[in-house]
Amino acid sequence: MDITTTNKDNATILSIAGRVDTATAPLLEQAINKEIDAGHRKVLLNFSGVSYISSGGLRVLLATAKKLKTPGDKFSICSLSPEVLKILKLAGFTSIFSIYPSEAESLAGW
Amino acid sequence: MPAGNTQLVSHEWQPLPGAAGAQIYPLIRKIDTISSNSYLIQTPDAILLIDPGGLPEQAEQLMQVVTECRREKERPFFVILTHAHIDHFNGIQNIPAFAYTDAAVLMVQDTGASTLERGDGGMTQANLMGTTISPMRVGHHILSPDRRDHPDLPVEICLPNGGLLTITVSPANPVSLLPDRETIVFGEETSIDCYHTPGHSPDSICIRIGSLLFIGDLFFAANPGIAGIVGWSQEDLIHSFEGIGALLSAGGITTICPGHGRLIPAEDAVKTLAVIKRDALALANIAELNRDRAVQAAAYAEDSMEEVNELFTIMAGRLYYVSFVLDELGESEIAEEMNTLINGDTIDELLDAFRLFAEEHHRGGGVSIHLALKAGQVVAKLQRIFNKDELAHIIDPTLVNRAARLLSDYTTMFRGFTPPKEITVVDLPTIIETLVAGLSVPVCSDEDVMSSADDEKAFARMLLARIGTRPLLEDVEFTMLENRHPLAVAIDRDHFTDLLTYIMEDLVGTGSDTINLGIARNDPDVSVTIAGNISSAEDDGNRKNLRFLSGLTERAGGNLSCTRNEATGMRSYTITVTSVI
Repeated sequence: MDITTTNKDNATILSIAGRVDTATAPLLEQAINKEIDAGHRKVLLNFSGVSYISSGGLRVLLATAKKLKTPGDKFSICSLSPEVLKILKLAGFTSIFSIYPSEAESLAGW
Repeated sequence: MPAGNTQLVSHEWQPLPGAAGAQIYPLIRKIDTISSNSYLIQTPDAILLIDPGGLPEQAEQLMQVVTECRREKERPFFVILTHAHIDHFNGIQNIPAFAYTDAAVLMVQDTGASTLERGDGGMTQANLMGTTISPMRVGHHILSPDRRDHPDLPVEICLPNGGLLTITVSPANPVSLLPDRETIVFGEETSIDCYHTPGHSPDSICIRIGSLLFIGDLFFAANPGIAGIVGWSQEDLIHSFEGIGALLSAGGITTICPGHGRLIPAEDAVKTLAVIKRDALALANIAELNRDRAVQAAAYAEDSMEEVNELFTIMAGRLYYVSFVLDELGESEIAEEMNTLINGDTIDELLDAFRLFAEEHHRGGGVSIHLALKAGQVVAKLQRIFNKDELAHIIDPTLVNRAARLLSDYTTMFRGFTPPKEITVVDLPTIIETLVAGLSVPVCSDEDVMSSADDEKAFARMLLARIGTRPLLEDVEFTMLENRHPLAVAIDRDHFTDLLTYIMEDLVGTGSDTINLGIARNDPDVSVTIAGNISSAEDDGNRKNLRFLSGLTERAGGNLSCTRNEATGMRSYTITVTSVI
């Protein structure tokens, strides 16, 4: 799994490529925490390169949602593959954070 | 490495219990289907190797030990097979010291000897393992029918390796249940008893030396992925279990040396025998496990595991969601409990292990049966940790029940049975309406939650279910077209409703907010078409799970087609079933 971090329009965008599974979920969590600890509280995960998410990956997403819930915080995910979108929708996660088709659409809402 | 909870140690010479002057060098491996354990024995008269294994490196390692023994004292060398399956002998195929000189004499039960002499890929399981074997010369046919004409009469045989054998055959005893026995004396004093114990294969034997009993694969013969292999016989197996049970009851045997895995104390083996005999009795009418069925099982395994992966990830995610919401409500204690109901990490590890195995399998052109066996192991572990009843109270029972049915169907198929298909005549619109209603409204309403408020436990349970269940169609515009009553069809109800749920889940999960369901009668068939709007970016046109859905449709009693209409952006699944007039 590769993570590329960029900043755009006051938001931190983590673009992830590969599988978010048992082995890589902790790495994603570390990368997100690093940004939050640095005071970046508008976090967008670009999942366009993610082909698979395990339950460990889902837990990281929920843990992030818990951390970014103070007024002014933003957390969303964009550009999901059909497989990952299906998992998030059926697990009920779409009512916890927003999912957008693209980075631009996500940032437009912020 | 210890050889188990007995006194014997792997990779070391030690006295062979109950046989004065004999020593044993066990080579105990972790259980796999590639190679068996090996047992090297030396006495003043001979060197015996029971099951050289399936790997050349294992055979070469053993040959080094044999060479050292012969350097100390030259003695005739014999290789004895508990049965002629490739994982027990393939290692010696191309090693000259074993196969091409008279230095080693190969001894195999008569049927197995013929199998090796004609290079039979079916009976040796070479075909199942995707390989071939060359014909092999067998020096002595153990329990040859020719010698049955002279029971209890010792016969001397001189062999090309300089060995002198004295053979005595004792027929099976119907009273004591002891099986056919051949006693072989090597030279002056080294005596072994070979008992014919067919079932796992026609040529399986158990070998007694001192207080040890070498049983080959007898104790694995009723296992899924092994039962049903070419040459397997349920009737013979049960008979052999009875014979070995009688032998163990007669006393004098302390340790069982299996073809795979750790040694077993005799008292534990008696208990194990009772369990596996019960398993074997349940295996009537299983299909033969040949190469074709192994290929079929491997495909079924991959399809099923993909769905298992998805369902278990969704279920784990749903519990995390419940836990998240409870935490938000200040119920952190109950939230913690939710996280223990499904062990996401263990499930992830199991599913990851299968994926890595499958990837390696495809990269290296692996053997189908290994993939099916791996799936069997993962499914068995998932079944052990899957708390179906508790979960079904909290998250959608349709998720939990489908996951349970997937695991159960795979286990059934893997054991050699056809997954159950209970075709009954039902009214199709009623079945569909009931399903759709269940997928459209919450399991418990707000009123249910409020009415249980006086009972703390009932309220907590109701609240959990309210959070944990999410009707699939609640935010979807669902239309049922052409609803004709009554319309009797012959289907397997559970598999049919599972199928419709999988299809609608796939449509909703990948972004469809409209689903149309139509029923059309074209005697003698009835077709059910489910269509959803999916943007072309999210429709790969060749859904990965289509093979799984087709298999499920077959088990439901119909057949399936899937099309996409580019003009309307609708993906359609059509299920055709048979109408009953």
